[in-house]
Amino acid sequence: MIMPYVLFIMVMVIILFASNIIMSFTTEDGAFTLNNYTRVFQDELVYKSLKNTGVWVLGSVAGQFFMGMLVALLLNQVKKGELLFRSVILILPWATLDIVAGVMWKWMYNDMYGVLNEVLMQIGIIDQYISWLATPDMAMLAVIIANIWKGFCLTGMFLLAGLQTIPQQLYEAAEIDGANAVKRFWHITIPQLKPVLLTTLMLGTIWTINYFPLIYTMTGGGPSHGTETVVTYIYRLSFRFMEYNKSAALSNILFIIILGISMIFLRQISKDGDTA
Amino acid sequence: MKRSLRRKYTKLFVYFLLSALSIIIAFPFVWLTITAFKSYPDIYAYPIKYLPTEATLEHFDKISSMQFGVYFRNSIIVGFGTMILSILIALFPAYAFSRYRFRGKGALLITVLFLQMFPQVVFLVPMFKFLGAVGWLDTYWGIIFSYLPFTTPISIVFLRSFFIGVPKSLEEAAMIDGCSRMKAFIKVIFPVTLPGIAAVGIYAFLFSWQELMYSMSILLSKDRQTVPVFLSLFIGQYQTRWGPLFAGSVLSTLPPLIIFMILQRYFISGLVSGAVKE
Repeated sequence: MIMPYVLFIMVMVIILFASNIIMSFTTEDGAFTLNNYTRVFQDELVYKSLKNTGVWVLGSVAGQFFMGMLVALLLNQVKKGELLFRSVILILPWATLDIVAGVMWKWMYNDMYGVLNEVLMQIGIIDQYISWLATPDMAMLAVIIANIWKGFCLTGMFLLAGLQTIPQQLYEAAEIDGANAVKRFWHITIPQLKPVLLTTLMLGTIWTINYFPLIYTMTGGGPSHGTETVVTYIYRLSFRFMEYNKSAALSNILFIIILGISMIFLRQISKDGDTA
Repeated sequence: MKRSLRRKYTKLFVYFLLSALSIIIAFPFVWLTITAFKSYPDIYAYPIKYLPTEATLEHFDKISSMQFGVYFRNSIIVGFGTMILSILIALFPAYAFSRYRFRGKGALLITVLFLQMFPQVVFLVPMFKFLGAVGWLDTYWGIIFSYLPFTTPISIVFLRSFFIGVPKSLEEAAMIDGCSRMKAFIKVIFPVTLPGIAAVGIYAFLFSWQELMYSMSILLSKDRQTVPVFLSLFIGQYQTRWGPLFAGSVLSTLPPLIIFMILQRYFISGLVSGAVKE
């Protein structure tokens, strides 16, 4: 009964992997070479894009976790109007198409006509218009903020589901013992939530490393490669510069990095599973 | 008395925070929608005009004259194709994972999960070459085929958790009454897990609905391209045509938004049990 699927997945995996590996070790004429890898390691843009990917992932995942936790804790408190709040907070950003989210934020960030500068001026947070997407550092901050908006909902959903499995008695007992809200959060919520936290953190990290459309539509990797991540660079290598072989080599390196990160998380998750 | 009063204030504070967050989070999308109905002088007004002087449909007219309908139709075809094939491919393996014990079950499940971890971009070039070799470049089949490795693994994981939730006694009872396992599956299990199947279907549909990278690389001719590609036409390196871009954005976000709001209960529970439960 499972044969069709097994065959399908086998064939796909073998074809995709094999051709990627072969491509990374061959020249355009098909002769064997290590040249693609040496060229990747000599390319300064590769290092820059690795560093950018690090900033992009750390910023996005930290922000998504903070927002997701806040929203999950709040939504866990309410019964009335839950559906409305869920629809707006957890569904709307998620249902927005990637490319739409990208252009929407790009327009809000516009330095002349963007609403963000206007609103921040009115509130008094800034005293002159900022050109958000014009300098590398600000552009990185801008795409990270947009990504937090787009991605915190999924984190929030996972955490909310995790919160709802924590037995209420634990909190009641702690309250009788005189633990305040902050103490209850650190000593009950966090430890109880740990398996969900780790799984969500792993998925969030992997998805963010791989997430491409937002950066592509907002900045295209610019200005001066300030928001160029490994994934946008792989894309440009293949489809702008037609450097398929070099791009295959870089893809394989990225794959090994992601595999390493997943292994670290999976080991931690299974270790917790054993002791629990 | 004092404690219940404090509780009441906490509740009020929670609702206040949630409302404030809702406004902040909904704002970008509301702004997008308002802008789609503004004329160009209003869009480029300085200082900013929050509301249009007069709501206009000119941008919607513009995109319909640019064949937005054709792109929309293509997206629907590719979306439904991806949805139906993903469900068909995932249904039986998911059932098998939830019911049978067999050698290599764990390894297979891990393969399924790992495949989900791969960056889509890693497979783009091999997929592109493969589709070129079999002559499926620039076809609906080709693009649907290229989405399946990404939609089926997660579909299997979701569906498996739904099947686990269905008591074995249900189909055993049916089999004692003389049904074959296949018949028991169709008559008993399938109807119970329909919400889960719907959730997986929506996931696959949305995946293809918003996918841009593969679609703009594999579909080359205009009459087969999908909505995200249409939207990307308005984004230039130096100039972006915001009016039609936003009109198209609003229209293309409506279908997923409506489906989500209607089915969110199933979808969230399906997603969550698939990801959190083992």
